[in-house]
Amino acid sequence: MTEVRAEMVANVWKVVASAGDTVADGDTLVILESMKMEIPVLAEAAGTVSTLAVAEGDVVQEGDLIAVID
Amino acid sequence: MSVPDGLATGARATLRVAVTEADTAQAAGSGDVPVLATPRLLALAEAACVAAIATRMTPSLTSVGIAARLEHRQASPVGAELDIEAELTEIDGVRLVFVFIARPADGADQVIGAGTLERVVVDRERFLARAEGARHRLD
Repeated sequence: MTEVRAEMVANVWKVVASAGDTVADGDTLVILESMKMEIPVLAEAAGTVSTLAVAEGDVVQEGDLIAVID
Repeated sequence: MSVPDGLATGARATLRVAVTEADTAQAAGSGDVPVLATPRLLALAEAACVAAIATRMTPSLTSVGIAARLEHRQASPVGAELDIEAELTEIDGVRLVFVFIARPADGADQVIGAGTLERVVVDRERFLARAEGARHRLD
């Protein structure tokens, strides 16, 4: 199991992956926005997205869970 | 996203401007005296930064301001002429750091203003789409 967490305070701009998706290492899960920049959040392992914990428009804090990949 | 290939530190530009009534603190609403407004100086400094990299940007890319540190050391009355020079001093991913200095255009050895500005390179259309998206979420 791999937990993907936010590395900074940001707005969730786009949710690209869905729970149940099969992803490869490096696939984009969500796109955050911070300081006017787009910051892609990538899968850190290959597997199945078991949890996608954010929705578009959410604000995430540093360390918040974004997704779980099994 | 990355910055255009031709963009490099050392890029610089100088704007020469004459202070008009429209540039004053009275006009800007930032004060009540008829001298160059600090937010107007900031806008001119940002414009000098944009000019410094203008020839190296591609049409689909633009840059937007994200941070500023500004000292406004001397008042400039209406009619005063200033040279505002900006130089790109650091590229960190898509983040650009500029320094600027504003001096009298007559060459006098004085500093009217100085500071550091940060901008990020963004895709113009994607940036505007995100800004629109944020507005819709606020509605």
